[in-house]
Amino acid sequence: MEQLKTIGRELAMGSQGGFGQSKEFLDLIKSIGETRSKAEEDRIVLREIETLKSRLSSPNTPKFKLKEYLIRLLYVEMLGHDASFGYIHAVKMTHDENLLLKRTGYLAVTLFLNEDHDLIILIVNTIQKDLKSDNYLVVCAALNAVCRLINEETIPAVLPQVVELLGHQKETVRKKAVMALHRFYQRAPGSVSHLISNFRKRLCDNDPGVMGATLCPLFDLIMTDVDSYKDLVISFVNILKQVAERRLPKSYDYHQMPAPFVQIKLLKILSLLGSGDKKASEQIYTIVGDIIRKSDSTSNIGNAILYECICCVSSLHPNPKLLEAAADAISKFLKSDSHNLKYLGIDALSRLIKISPEIAEQHQLAVIDCLEDPDDTLKRKTFELLYKMTKSSNVEVIVDRMINYMISINDSHYKTEIASRCVELAEQFAPSNQWFIQTMNKVFEHAGDLVNSKVAHNLMRLIAEGFGEDDDAVDSQLRSSAVESYLQIMGEPKLPSAFLQSCILVLCVCVCGLFNFFIYLFYRSFVGSWGNMGLQMENILPHILPGNCVTWQRLIRQMT
Amino acid sequence: MIHFVLLISRQGKVRLTKWYSPYTQKERTKVIRELSGMILVRGPKLCNFVEWRGYKVVYKRYASLYFCMCIDEDDNELEVLEMIHHFVEILDRYFGSVCELDLIFNFHKAYYILDEILIAGELQESSKKSVARLISAQDSLVEEAKEQASSISNIIAQATK
Repeated sequence: MEQLKTIGRELAMGSQGGFGQSKEFLDLIKSIGETRSKAEEDRIVLREIETLKSRLSSPNTPKFKLKEYLIRLLYVEMLGHDASFGYIHAVKMTHDENLLLKRTGYLAVTLFLNEDHDLIILIVNTIQKDLKSDNYLVVCAALNAVCRLINEETIPAVLPQVVELLGHQKETVRKKAVMALHRFYQRAPGSVSHLISNFRKRLCDNDPGVMGATLCPLFDLIMTDVDSYKDLVISFVNILKQVAERRLPKSYDYHQMPAPFVQIKLLKILSLLGSGDKKASEQIYTIVGDIIRKSDSTSNIGNAILYECICCVSSLHPNPKLLEAAADAISKFLKSDSHNLKYLGIDALSRLIKISPEIAEQHQLAVIDCLEDPDDTLKRKTFELLYKMTKSSNVEVIVDRMINYMISINDSHYKTEIASRCVELAEQFAPSNQWFIQTMNKVFEHAGDLVNSKVAHNLMRLIAEGFGEDDDAVDSQLRSSAVESYLQIMGEPKLPSAFLQSCILVLCVCVCGLFNFFIYLFYRSFVGSWGNMGLQMENILPHILPGNCVTWQRLIRQMT
Repeated sequence: MIHFVLLISRQGKVRLTKWYSPYTQKERTKVIRELSGMILVRGPKLCNFVEWRGYKVVYKRYASLYFCMCIDEDDNELEVLEMIHHFVEILDRYFGSVCELDLIFNFHKAYYILDEILIAGELQESSKKSVARLISAQDSLVEEAKEQASSISNIIAQATK
């Protein structure tokens, strides 16, 4: 496993004009590498853009120089500058007969353009022509472009030719044709619905690369329509068996594992086919068990396969022996020093929890360690696990932890997600109404502006209308404790305004009852700010509303 | 699927970007800035995965370069880590002990290689032999084309003397 060398030695080489580029290009790259500020870099790049603009549009520029200018244009765009003035030259270069130029043109258009670009229409004809070329390298370049640039509208223009290429003598071409169809399916599923039998045929292709590529579209097809492919379970199991028994050419080995990427794809497909289906699962048990047993846990790729096996086991119909093997593998992951393996262990745990809930308890200590790890990725994964593990007996501890974690999060997108998870768990598993209100208040206090306002309204309605308990005393005690806690919170200096508003609404509802609450809303709609309203309310409402005048005055004074 | 591949230097300079899902130029710049901020600060012993906008980004550092691949939530992270390594091993074989400068000065060749490994956001070829064979076929034809071109320019040069 060779590491990349350091820059030192290579700088020496570079100064001799190596790397096969023109001196001008080398100088450009070197000067950009030596800049000390973004402003300096921008100056150089803008100068280069001017140069490229004039040279690209000049009619006297020789074609091979054009090729270099295109590459320099790619470089400029990679640095974040606009190179759209040059796109048309890339398009023109794809028309060229010379392979070197054509290839550069195709590379440039696949990097510059997205599938919806206006210029694509100028390339489609060229692609159509090139797909029919008798030089397989030209066909490959065209297929690469197809996989990147063809969208729903342009599929019909190239589809027939691509289908024909499924039978090309060169395996590289067949492989790329399969991937092109895979992409067509993703863009417009209906466009390849008549080609299912072609995909099935490619599964039996002589070349393992083509077979492996076919797994991509088949996976997508199976995901949308599992039942039509149940007949293929045996075939997939057989292919996986052959791969695992090292019957593919050695060139497909990666770090001593036989075609591991193909194995993983097959395992994913078998997970889909065996999910919720006892009969199909039974056909899959043996091979998965074999692969788990033969797995190499010393290499990353070996562990990747092992992890995929666990995912497969968790979606198949439950099999005690396999579940045990999976649990063992998870233990090893969690005990490892590698953060990557711990991460996978936690993920695998959360998949198995649905089938064997007791597995979480066995690994409690390891889970807590991960929860307290400074690695944010690992922490996040562990909170996902906790979310799935929550039940009435542990909801208080878990939600408490989650709220503390939520407070520490800066990313508002993620904070919102955790906040809504807390709310969801509280709503689902709350052991008591008291705890529920307290918990919801904490969430509002720290993430009030991120939580869906509907949640706040539901909570208020709950408190206002009571929890449906027959005991009025309990109910009113609940309300007064809620009111007390809100009054206390409102005393705190820094509060998100949405929460403040929620508090006040709840207070009004609790203190003055539902009917009078509507009167208050009526008044509120006439005034622009709390300050004004406070004054109004102070004067008017106490005369209309029952309830303790003192409480009202206290409330209003705190608001204004 | 893999949505994009980024190669960023320790200083946050972009060395290669390949996009398999539609991202406008503006979005691309934003993505690169966000991910550089997240990944370059991570310590060496931490996970090679980060969660980002509902996706996952798998990254690995080789000397001064970070190789990053953005994948879907249900993809196998460890597998993609090895895909990155597979790509690096192929680059290594092609350039002969590849270093960052190789990728800076020959980034277009790195793209050609990447196009033989990943296509439409999926791994297209796991056999190093097949990739090497195709790239050398392309290179040899390219050499042929170059010779042709230089001989033509010789003729022209002669003719215009």
